[in-house]
Amino acid sequence: MKAPTTSTYLCQYAFPESVSDDAAPAAASVVIELLSLVNFRNHTNSEILFAPGLSVVSGANGEGKTNLLEAIGYLSSLSSFRGASTDSMIGIDDEQAVVRAQLQVNGREQLIEAQLDRRGRNRVQVNRQPLKRARDLLGTLRVVVFAPDDLAIVKAGPGGRRELLDTVLGSVHRRHEGDRSDIDRVLKQRGAVLKQAGGSTSNEVQATLDVWDTKLAEVGERHVSAREALVAEVSPIVEQLYRSLAGDDAAVTMKYRRSWEGSLLDALTQSRHADLRRRVTLVGPHRDDLEMSINGLPARTHGSQGEQRTLALSLRLASQRVIARRVGCEPVVLLDDVFSELDEQRASALVRELPAVQTILTTATGSVPAGAKPSASYVVVGGQIREQHG
Amino acid sequence: MYEGPVQDLIDELGRMPGIGPKSAQRIAFHLLKIPTPDAMRLSEAITRAKERVQFCQRCFNFSEHELCLICSSASRQDGTLCVVEESRDVVAVEKTQEFRGRYHVLQGCLNPIEGIGPEQLRVSELLGRIDGEQITEVILSTNPNIEGEATAMYLARLLGPLGVMVTRLASGLPVGGDLEYADELTLGRALEHRRAVE
Repeated sequence: MKAPTTSTYLCQYAFPESVSDDAAPAAASVVIELLSLVNFRNHTNSEILFAPGLSVVSGANGEGKTNLLEAIGYLSSLSSFRGASTDSMIGIDDEQAVVRAQLQVNGREQLIEAQLDRRGRNRVQVNRQPLKRARDLLGTLRVVVFAPDDLAIVKAGPGGRRELLDTVLGSVHRRHEGDRSDIDRVLKQRGAVLKQAGGSTSNEVQATLDVWDTKLAEVGERHVSAREALVAEVSPIVEQLYRSLAGDDAAVTMKYRRSWEGSLLDALTQSRHADLRRRVTLVGPHRDDLEMSINGLPARTHGSQGEQRTLALSLRLASQRVIARRVGCEPVVLLDDVFSELDEQRASALVRELPAVQTILTTATGSVPAGAKPSASYVVVGGQIREQHG
Repeated sequence: MYEGPVQDLIDELGRMPGIGPKSAQRIAFHLLKIPTPDAMRLSEAITRAKERVQFCQRCFNFSEHELCLICSSASRQDGTLCVVEESRDVVAVEKTQEFRGRYHVLQGCLNPIEGIGPEQLRVSELLGRIDGEQITEVILSTNPNIEGEATAMYLARLLGPLGVMVTRLASGLPVGGDLEYADELTLGRALEHRRAVE
């Protein structure tokens, strides 16, 4: 199905006046009431009315369950939590996709819409008013996504762990998001100088590197301090959650390890010779790691699969709590086929530890862990959603 | 896709900044449709501009003569230089009517990814002007983005030892705007650089 080509398409759609229950939540919260997808992956035209509590979405593999969560995630971060490009989120035969959500923000209705465009710019509207910059949407809807791939946060390289910290920081404050993209940009520019220098150490090269180093040191130090403060805050929460999920008294420790000592500017100066030779920046926020251990042994290399998975879950749960604490508003929880990988004991412990906020859960088996009380259930078949009653 | 000359035209238009393939095609078809004299006027305007317009030998702004109107004007103040990235930035500063000094156009900013280093910019020419024109203040007016800031820092380090005052444009809130509409980063910067009220 082709979407009409003009952006007026965004405006013509009328949502029902109100789809909310009377019971307004006491604490600050955001609830997704209605989600509508047009040409988003295999959803040509889907609409789903969510419950404020737990919604369970079941369906066989490849029917479009995760796509639903991806669309919600897109409204939150303007990117795919699966790391997919905009292009791949638009239906194969389509030029545009639209994701729309009716939210209840502290009891007020808010309509947010994003239009993904294969050629042009992606557009965003809030209450039918176009935003000048799509990025201004960030912070409207906060989510924390639990995915089977989360295991990689613990198991794989440091990139995923830095990514986790940066994602949390980014949803807490725009400044962190800005710092992070500045760091990426400076590293690219510095990398280009290193490559073009071809090992030369002329005054010209030195003077140019001085400038990029100063900028990288300034933003890098600030960003790394923010990461360290986050680790300090999150660490006791992770420790407590891990014990609860694992059902034992294992001790989890977390330590942020910088790739340098002293001031970053000095470290960059010292590393310059090696950087020029290897043509990459060897110290900085992009080389740091978050080290985690269980009972004194590195979780990455010594943890069992079960321990690693439990730790990853604890990290996500802790992220949700820290974001809620810092911004004063509970993020919505999205659980992508998480329970299939957990034993019964851990599954019911996870249910117990989940915050009392709107939660959307996908499952291939259709079974719901013990203790979970779904408010609504849905089945997805070939990009079509049906509510299940009874 | 199209016959030779038509495709050539689309290709050439598509090389223009901000013109995508669809716009290029639209403009090309428009040009083919309009009366020949109208199209020739455009073609002549391009030819004339390319023949007559050069870079000012002093400030590297576009100019019809060896020196541009600003550089050759007697009514401008000597001693103050406003350093900008592009000619269009000269126009922007001129519109303020707040600056009576002279300009220096770098013709870009430090951008190693695009292969632009100090040698590709009019940096040595700038340094040459400090002594030659007895400059006392240089206002660094590069863009407030990563590359513009890096360029400003690079120039500040070169200019510092020459004993000239180096200033940077302030950044903050747009005039006539509302606080609530300012983005967090801009408002944050404005807070950081707040000043005492006299």
